[in-house]
Amino acid sequence: MAFSSLTFLYFFLPLALLFHYMTKNMVFRNTSLILFSLIFYAWGEPLMVGLLLISAFFDYGNARLIERFRNAEKMGKAKAVLVFSIIVNLGALVAFKYSGFLYDNINYLVKLPFPRPEVFMPIGISFYIFRTISYVTDVYRGTVPAQKNPMKYLLYISLFQLTFMGPIARYQHLEGELTDRKFDWKDFSSGINRFCLGLFKKILIANIAAELMEKYLVDGFSDLTGADAWFGIILFSIYLYFDFSGYSDMAIGVGRMFGFHIQENFRHPYAAVSVADFYRRWHISLGTFFRDYVYIPLGGNRKWQDRNIFIVWMLTGLWHGAQWNYVMWGCYFGLLMILEKYSQPVLKVTPRLFKHLYVLILIVFSRAIFYFEDFDDLWNFIAHHLFDFSKFSNLGITGDLISHAYWLGLVILLCIPWNEFSWRSGKFYGFCTKLYYGASPVLNVGFVFLTTMMMLGSSFNPFFYQKF
Amino acid sequence: MGQKLNSILFLCAILAGTTAFFVMKKEKVSIDEKRELASIEPFSWESYSQKKTSKNLKEYVADHFPFRTEFISGSDQLKAMKGINLETQERIILAKKPSKAKPGAALDPTASHLEYVAEFEEAYTGDLLILNGRVYNLTGGSTKMSPVFARMVNEYAEKLRGECTVYSAVAPVACAFIPVEKYKRYNGQNRATLAAIGANLSNGARFSDIFTELNNHSGQQLFFGTDHHWNATGAYYAYVAFCKSAGIAPVPMDKMQKKVKYGFLGTMYQHTRDLSVKNNPDTFAYYIPNVATTAVRYGEYNMNSPQKISVFANSNGGNMYSTFISGDHPLIKITTGVKNGRKCAVVKNSMGNAFSVYLISHYEEIYVVDFRYSKHNLLSLIRENKINDLIFAVGLYAAMSNGTIGMMRRLATNSGTVPAALPVNAADSLNNKGASAKGDTLK
Repeated sequence: MAFSSLTFLYFFLPLALLFHYMTKNMVFRNTSLILFSLIFYAWGEPLMVGLLLISAFFDYGNARLIERFRNAEKMGKAKAVLVFSIIVNLGALVAFKYSGFLYDNINYLVKLPFPRPEVFMPIGISFYIFRTISYVTDVYRGTVPAQKNPMKYLLYISLFQLTFMGPIARYQHLEGELTDRKFDWKDFSSGINRFCLGLFKKILIANIAAELMEKYLVDGFSDLTGADAWFGIILFSIYLYFDFSGYSDMAIGVGRMFGFHIQENFRHPYAAVSVADFYRRWHISLGTFFRDYVYIPLGGNRKWQDRNIFIVWMLTGLWHGAQWNYVMWGCYFGLLMILEKYSQPVLKVTPRLFKHLYVLILIVFSRAIFYFEDFDDLWNFIAHHLFDFSKFSNLGITGDLISHAYWLGLVILLCIPWNEFSWRSGKFYGFCTKLYYGASPVLNVGFVFLTTMMMLGSSFNPFFYQKF
Repeated sequence: MGQKLNSILFLCAILAGTTAFFVMKKEKVSIDEKRELASIEPFSWESYSQKKTSKNLKEYVADHFPFRTEFISGSDQLKAMKGINLETQERIILAKKPSKAKPGAALDPTASHLEYVAEFEEAYTGDLLILNGRVYNLTGGSTKMSPVFARMVNEYAEKLRGECTVYSAVAPVACAFIPVEKYKRYNGQNRATLAAIGANLSNGARFSDIFTELNNHSGQQLFFGTDHHWNATGAYYAYVAFCKSAGIAPVPMDKMQKKVKYGFLGTMYQHTRDLSVKNNPDTFAYYIPNVATTAVRYGEYNMNSPQKISVFANSNGGNMYSTFISGDHPLIKITTGVKNGRKCAVVKNSMGNAFSVYLISHYEEIYVVDFRYSKHNLLSLIRENKINDLIFAVGLYAAMSNGTIGMMRRLATNSGTVPAALPVNAADSLNNKGASAKGDTLK
């Protein structure tokens, strides 16, 4: 079930809130939330909800064992359980996500005697497997105690706010709230604000970008001029940001409505002044996961930093999908990070505006690598379309820019980190903040109304030639 | 206080939607979308495990959401607010790339329909141009496909030699007549494609040069701006072209009774939902020949259960084009007051509907066969009813697809019997395909 759906907004959410807040008893609240979370997951993955349950109980047990060995100062055994847990978790990830990819590549080199495994990847597996890995590792490191109540751990893993698209929220941030959550009007209201903002970003920005992007990158691909091609990947960049950050906003917002404080996942990434800065602002929970559980254990910046950066980025690429283009995308960023590290003397004296521009160009270009899973398409796009400036446009860019002018203005406004400007403590920022919070009751109802309108608009499905 | 107000208002807003969903009456069909709205399917483990249950509930909620029509209309307005809307600014909507066929579709007993829809959409759904509140499908066909269509017509002419005269009456596409210089190439493409059909006809098959006739009157509105069909004027000039090829005198337009309906927003509007198109609805004028008629429709496979229909139906809204012969049916028989012993059969897709009604001035009986839905044997129909003329009156896109040409060709070999493999219920529903609530069973 998607947050940005009528079923979620008008049925699931009110019902889940009603059951959650009908009593102050935490056992009841947690149980109802687990049930609703499993329904939420089963809505999209009717069978693989079983895998989620197995994963939860498996690592609940592993963490308890690790803690027992830790307390008995048997660190070797604790480490063995940790390694076992990580291998099983990564094994499940490989089996469900990468088995087809591995088969294709091995079969390319050595003809395999068995057919390609037809395995369907369960939704959100990359997110919840990483959460269990982070939890078990944190228990091993002693950062958090193992959860003694299996239902509370199941709640952490199945929490519907997090299962489908993250963020990869750490156990340590939610530990207290699994035990005690109090209703607070301030939290509830800010959760609504955040949810409605996310809904607006997803429905009114990302979906419109996707519709227009399809015209350029799918339907009109063979006719792309250079301007068309750049416009297409700019639209994809807009889509990707607003789709994902919109989802994260909704997850954070709904989390807050239920008393959970989920960490931020995006901080205006398109305002970054370096590639490294970009990834401190983009999908923060994934970046910090790789930093804490891969980069630092590999040696971080203490030894072989370039190698560590490259490995982390290659894995980041692979995490995004079982295709070589994602690996290539990761390598692209790994190289950029390393180059940027050695270019610091130059970058320090480069005007800020140029730094914004260079990051934007590199990021937008990277979207092409991210978008085209087929190397032939990618090569065709770069070699034959991206730099073809013999003609302005074959697909009517001017018309699309004019007919989307206000929308594009809104996109730019929403990409600017207004809260980071130096005058944020000034009167104007204060005034704007007050205005937003003052107007939010009306604004949120307006967002719900407009997004409902658009969701129903997309349900319009005419059959020209079928009689009813 | 502000936080409480914010929370309460939000909850009230969503609960109002939830309550209205359960309280308000639910429609069964959507006139604008020409489809049945989703209903709740019985729960089964199979449907649950295949994600069909959640999909069904999702569709049910979307289809029956309170004030759905108004919300959809609002979303069109909202989409128009994305930017500046200049009426004269042309907009191009590219054709969707066809999705890959789903495995197993060929095993479906109704696969011919599925095949048809896929083939048809592939052939028909070209790029769209929105200009001055009118929508144009940008296609000119292909001279490579013209001989394929002509070969199919020739085969009928060969099989019916000495029994029946066969005509090719293929309609061009509206884009052939866009009054803007940069789009003149579509005029040339349509002309070449249709002329190539004529050049490849043989065995006595006759060519109705509809393109030239329409081109001679291109200063008039020949097609709807909000629908993919031609209007009654365009169809009239097609009829004139047919009369020329058949050697009969067309009835002048002013000798027919003119009727007008207003506010037609057809398929092209439904597809684009563009506000400039919505603000430029078509006037639906049609001409009724001064001849008495009765008409019946038959099911897909046989002529056992005739149902009365109107030659000029009282269709309104987005369905206004169904005014002509009450829309698409597998087989229609029109009996006229003309007593000259002549009979004709029209093999058509929906373009042929507006054309067929002019023929009632010239034939005692007219059999209208929709090649997409009919499983009747066309040769038997012609021979048993001693039909004099067979007219292939289809749109250009139907003449440009192997799938649709194959369907026309298969009319010669259809057995006209319900396949044994088809369950009785399915056969019944297929037999009634195309039937609307308008028809009454003849006693």
